[in-house]
Amino acid sequence: MSIGDAKGGRALEGVRIIDLTWLQVGPQATRLLASFGAQVIRIEWRERKAIDFIRYSPPFAPDHARPDGGISQGVSHGHGIRGNFDRGAYFNNTNPGKYGITLNLNHPKGRDLLRRMVRDANAITENFSPGQMDKWNLGYEELRKINPRIIYMQTTGVGKAGVYKDYVSYGPTAQAFSGLTFLSGLPEPRPPAGWGYSYLDHSPGYFGAIMLMAAIRRQRETGAGCYIDMSQSETGLMLSGTSIVEHQITGKPTARYGNRMPFRDWSPHGAYRCDGDDNWIAISIQSDEQWRALIEEMGSPEWARHDQFASAAGRKQHEDALDEMLATFTSACERYDLMNRLQARGIAAGVVQKASDRFDRDPQLKARGYFVELPHSEIGTWPIEGFPAKLSRSPANVGGATGRAAPKLGEDNDFVYGKLVGLSADEMSSLAEEGVI
Amino acid sequence: MNDLDHNGNLGSSLANFTILEIGNQLGDYAALLLAGLGAEVIKIEPRDGAESRRIGPFATASDDIEQSLFFWRYNLNKKSVVLDVDDAAAIPVLTALAATADIVLLSGEFETVERRLPLWRKIAADNPRLIVCTITPFGLDGPYRALKATDLVQMALGGIMAVCGYDPADDGVYDTPPIAPAMWHSYHLGGEYAAVAMMAAINFRELSGEGQFIDVSVHEAVNTCTEVAIPTYIYSGLVLKRQTARHAAPSVTHARLSKSADGVFMLAGLSPFEREMRALGELADQVGIGHVLGTPEFVQLEKEDRVAAAIYRNDLLGEVVESRSADEIFRRAQSVGLAWSPIRRPEDNLDDPHFAARGSFATIEHPELGRSLRYPGTVASDGQSPHFSYTRRAPHLGEHTAEVLTRAGVTATTIASLRKL
Repeated sequence: MSIGDAKGGRALEGVRIIDLTWLQVGPQATRLLASFGAQVIRIEWRERKAIDFIRYSPPFAPDHARPDGGISQGVSHGHGIRGNFDRGAYFNNTNPGKYGITLNLNHPKGRDLLRRMVRDANAITENFSPGQMDKWNLGYEELRKINPRIIYMQTTGVGKAGVYKDYVSYGPTAQAFSGLTFLSGLPEPRPPAGWGYSYLDHSPGYFGAIMLMAAIRRQRETGAGCYIDMSQSETGLMLSGTSIVEHQITGKPTARYGNRMPFRDWSPHGAYRCDGDDNWIAISIQSDEQWRALIEEMGSPEWARHDQFASAAGRKQHEDALDEMLATFTSACERYDLMNRLQARGIAAGVVQKASDRFDRDPQLKARGYFVELPHSEIGTWPIEGFPAKLSRSPANVGGATGRAAPKLGEDNDFVYGKLVGLSADEMSSLAEEGVI
Repeated sequence: MNDLDHNGNLGSSLANFTILEIGNQLGDYAALLLAGLGAEVIKIEPRDGAESRRIGPFATASDDIEQSLFFWRYNLNKKSVVLDVDDAAAIPVLTALAATADIVLLSGEFETVERRLPLWRKIAADNPRLIVCTITPFGLDGPYRALKATDLVQMALGGIMAVCGYDPADDGVYDTPPIAPAMWHSYHLGGEYAAVAMMAAINFRELSGEGQFIDVSVHEAVNTCTEVAIPTYIYSGLVLKRQTARHAAPSVTHARLSKSADGVFMLAGLSPFEREMRALGELADQVGIGHVLGTPEFVQLEKEDRVAAAIYRNDLLGEVVESRSADEIFRRAQSVGLAWSPIRRPEDNLDDPHFAARGSFATIEHPELGRSLRYPGTVASDGQSPHFSYTRRAPHLGEHTAEVLTRAGVTATTIASLRKL
């Protein structure tokens, strides 16, 4: 794309990221940059402990070809760790659009090569344990000597600076520590329900992308680089809503409230059982008018017309009884049919969609082209989760600069070392023989 | 030469950027994030205040629109201008404001945003550098675009609820509903992605000189954030089961919540790595609990009956956690390299020395209260100071109307007449 020819252009044209991150947080951040056209060069090494763990974490792509445009049925146990490097489904979804190279940072020539690559890179990202990059003499202070414009981002559970800088943590730890686990669930004495996945392996990735792009823009304008010590638990604080402020005002301990809505006079407000196996619908009644519409939809049962439920305050006060009776109604209903009927009456209602529902039947995701089919050199073409916004001039494209899903281990050595770094074929083969690349 | 230090943090990286924020709570967080990076955010509110002023909790017993803690938390640093954007009389004023703006952020229900968009398309035609970002529950097109949504409904349709909640009963049937983790995460996700998209658009404008339109769907934003749920289904046909305070999985895994001596739930678990097994033994030794880990008998048990060995270890873990306060177990576990943590209430972090050392909370003066409050203020530091910068409390309704409009060249007479509308 030439500058000025904006249609279908890339927001991060010409930007190069050296990506040493693993697992989820860092790869999430660089995934977003790749989708806006940055050249993201992901570095791994061939030893088991230097390969991204999620490359060999289940689920795996099956041995057989993907059924015509559909999903695959049945667990694939794969071929042992070594055979699975390039078959990890989650890895494929997390790293589309990136280049993949192998580089041995334990070898002095490997570290020299990295320094050489940093010279004309915009940013470097890593999430090694504290001190590892310094041990290699590749910390921020060293790298900025080579490239004063460099943006250096490190992601950790609690941050590299501070009292707990040496503490070990991963997403769930950061969630528990920051307060997010506590906030989710039914009121005490029930235990917290927490999160069914590492939320703080994802949100900090979005923040990482925001900060990297802010830094890249500034770098372009002023030549300034920076160091970003990204903390998952700090992100957790940002996501703890109003609870920290409320506590300072009231002095009371934060309470959990399940699916209810203590912050507005909305009731009923919750997830209600529908017909079938573990099927639920979320319903939020926000006004008397919607409440009356719900009564009509239920066929005006006697209980619902009781005075105690007539006002928002009354519904709030008698929420337990209300929930129980509403559930009696919903549990006989087919979930999507009920959602459609309630929505037709202007009521906020939505099926608690499982992954199968979202992939197979959500008409909105389908119409917006949310899932993107991308080829992978080993396992063929699979749907990849897309970017949740449409940009008119520089659209996100999860296939990024490579036009494919995740790279195989070392897939782009020739391109990156040959074309981008400028090594000759002889240099490359001798470096490969020496165990450097 | 610029005045930015090469070590400088990002808290002023969007200085000289102006954002007009028009809409409801779907837009508050996105604009807050860009404000933290130094952008000037002008929040345009109707005479009776933005909808987010009606979301509690409230600082006082009444639902006073100046006392919403939701509004306080999500509107730091912003300026408030009262203007009825749906009134034709506002068009010249909006046009004047847009002439100096970089981004217009329109949020709210589809009907509202769709009604307001044509004006901005016209304005953008005269100012092609303008970035116009919409945030709506489902996006601007598609069959669901006009559906009614709340945070709860978005968390349901977007798939997060289906993987959050409690273990099923012993018969495998769930007797508790899926849980939408509290505190507006659908708005957080929509806001974060809107900020990502706006940063991309800002970068694109630097390359091309052109602004653009951005259409953020909260539904899709929530959908992106369910980790292995979608890959697991696509590649294996399996649907994850939700479980108490641990990862959802294709089948129910071992429960792992334990309680400390002072009654705090701890997130404490063991991976199958030898290093962690040894660490548990060390921890048990530290707190004086006898055990057989590491003995030849236990090594034998591990070989012969892995399940029995795992049960033994988990029981020991529970005993260790029960033996001391959560804080002590936390420190001791971390000192032997175990990634354990107490399940803290958010406010437990207010006085934590780690966050104090990092400047994680921004201290904001509230002159009307005669005190300051601490707000979560950053997600990263540059090693010395936070990368986001928050210095001012959320604005009162219309606090900056005269200042902002005067600067945009609107005459005092016009301002006075707008006030009467």
